[in-house]
Amino acid sequence: MKEEKLEKLLNELADVTVEPSRPDFADDIKQRIPHRLIPPRSGIDTVNIIIDLRVSKLAAAAAIIITMVLWGSFLRGSDSIGDSLYKDGKKLVKDFLGAGNEENKALVAKSGYRHNMFLAKSRYQYLVQRGEDVTYYGDNIDPQDSNVVLMQWKLSDGNYKVIFADLREKTVSAEELIELQARMLHEKTK
Amino acid sequence: MNRYSQQRRDSLVARLKAGNRAAAAELVDIYYERIYLFMRRLGHSRQVSEDLTQESFFQAWQHIGRLRSGKALNSWLHQIAANASRLHWRRNKGRKAVSIDGMDVPDNGKAEFDKVGHLEQLEQLKNGVANLPMKLKETVVLHYMQHLTIAEAAEAIGVREGTFKSRLSRALRALRRQIAAEDR
Repeated sequence: MKEEKLEKLLNELADVTVEPSRPDFADDIKQRIPHRLIPPRSGIDTVNIIIDLRVSKLAAAAAIIITMVLWGSFLRGSDSIGDSLYKDGKKLVKDFLGAGNEENKALVAKSGYRHNMFLAKSRYQYLVQRGEDVTYYGDNIDPQDSNVVLMQWKLSDGNYKVIFADLREKTVSAEELIELQARMLHEKTK
Repeated sequence: MNRYSQQRRDSLVARLKAGNRAAAAELVDIYYERIYLFMRRLGHSRQVSEDLTQESFFQAWQHIGRLRSGKALNSWLHQIAANASRLHWRRNKGRKAVSIDGMDVPDNGKAEFDKVGHLEQLEQLKNGVANLPMKLKETVVLHYMQHLTIAEAAEAIGVREGTFKSRLSRALRALRRQIAAEDR
């Protein structure tokens, strides 16, 4: 028998030896889908939040100073001792955000990212508790890329709500979402 | 063949990597029949094929982080299934391969005589594939029956394309020999 004919017969054999599986087989497999497919690298439980805060000492310091400044503004720029605390606070923030210092800039950017992630995780938790089927990509993405999708969930009208890494929100169609996800995967594999 | 476009598969992989359970269910819907048939074509019984198919999906969910892109999804899933199959044969040495029971040959307007002759040829070939050594059987099943490309099939069994091609031609030679011997 010639090779071409043999190959043709083998292809045909594939078509004729199609044995259907039992009807509820797919459902049986789906029942075994683990509740948590991939455990997130950094959890969203209290312990991890504390760890996250502990790691970002500078972000915590900045948050404290900003709070002090805001309270100062709220009290019309003065406190019981005088306005020295408010002024010092403003100066500290200015120094911390330090225009010229590259190291500071990097730290501020890092703190900003951590802050975004913290807010995003809180939002994710809230949505999950509300019963939304949210997909959170935070542990698998490059958060420096502001156009990357951080999380998504389906809306009642069939569209999807998408939150990007810079916390922008957008409502997109299923096709647009597929394009965004495909782009994410390609960026990651580059 | 796979109806899912590249973009859709990429989207599926992105959601799987994010741990989306709906995506895991979608993966089952797309591939469970193919993986089950792959197991049956490798000579496992119905029950064992079901068990190994379930095991393959379970392994896929556990190691989804290793998947690179939607393009590799088909070969990656077949790789997991082939490993599950090999492990089963290793653990159950001496167990005989079982071939798929019936064949549903379309009429195609052929005369009864031709139809019977054609059916015999297919039956011979089916037995020939079933009698191949496992390594050769894998190559034939992956390429001709599961319709993976040479590159995909080679990746699925973890060999180079050259090695795969050489195994495939050995398998075809062996099949020709078997059929010729039966015809005598």
